[in-house]
Amino acid sequence: MSAGDEAHYRFPPAAAYGLNRCLYLVKSDDAYRGRFAADPRAAAAELGLGDAEVAALLAGDRDALVGLGAHPYLVFMADLRLRMARGAGSMEYF
Amino acid sequence: MLVGAFACAHTPQLLARPDTEDRDLVLRVHAAFARVRARLTALRPDVIAMVAGDHVEAFFLDAVPALAVYAGRECAGTFGPYRYRFPIHEPLARAVLEQGIERGFDLLYTQDRPLDYAFYVPLHFTMPEPAVPLLPLHVNVYLPPQPTPRRCHDWGVALGDILRARPERVALMASGGMSHYPGTDRYGSPDLDYDRRLLDALREGRGRELAAATGEELDKAGNIELRTWLVVLGAVGAVPADVYCYEPSWHHGNAVVEWPL
Repeated sequence: MSAGDEAHYRFPPAAAYGLNRCLYLVKSDDAYRGRFAADPRAAAAELGLGDAEVAALLAGDRDALVGLGAHPYLVFMADLRLRMARGAGSMEYF
Repeated sequence: MLVGAFACAHTPQLLARPDTEDRDLVLRVHAAFARVRARLTALRPDVIAMVAGDHVEAFFLDAVPALAVYAGRECAGTFGPYRYRFPIHEPLARAVLEQGIERGFDLLYTQDRPLDYAFYVPLHFTMPEPAVPLLPLHVNVYLPPQPTPRRCHDWGVALGDILRARPERVALMASGGMSHYPGTDRYGSPDLDYDRRLLDALREGRGRELAAATGEELDKAGNIELRTWLVVLGAVGAVPADVYCYEPSWHHGNAVVEWPL
């Protein structure tokens, strides 16, 4: 088994670099997250993402994103940070 | 000198609790963190050397180090409303970097990267007062291919030797674990049996056996972050662990551990 083809976390294919960069920026860059929340198509276009990538992002379709090479942790945390930014759900801060 | 050794969970739900998380469980983990803080206060460290797995925060796919040392003047990170800034213990950072390289570990170093929550979630609860400087030590846990468990252990052996020979009082802390699978289909099914077997081994001073694990085994068990524990295990050797708590939630095995030196 090479680098865990069945692994939960796999080598991110180079072809998915832009998609993973988008998810990374949504996770970690406040300005980009704001642009993505306001207009995800335009934010995705900044990174030159393809139609299938944009469709999966707009649908929030984890399986489709991972199938396109997205890292599962980035999908997970980008979604969490977007929901936090929108104030979705209650949160207790310690 | 090495005066203390710990491992702490760092899941962000311990810091910002959504209503999906059991409040009593979260508070029990906080109580274990408070014990760590009390121990750190008693141990009077000059610096906390913290080994954490980067969550694709300091290092993205443009550069993925297996092992890294933060050797800047200070480091900072943000998470939601939280803002953290820690001074770096520069003399110790340089010593670990230079002596680690001399010992054959090709360490990356950085003087300016954002700090990952794996560092500041435990520190939020465990930093003694007055606060002490930090030495962040990165291990790649999320971007395959990661360093092997054996390599992480061997780095810990070298790191322990380096720290014991230093004049500063150093507390070594691993951040991470236990079983969890963020972003995957198994998110709701952590491997609690694996965690409990490992904790039993740690209590008996057999933690170094984990160095024989494969990367595939850690991935399968949802324990890729135990690479950070392996660094500490390499440094402390066969010291039996005192398990402060093991609090498994529906998605995460939260553990807090000390290796009394």
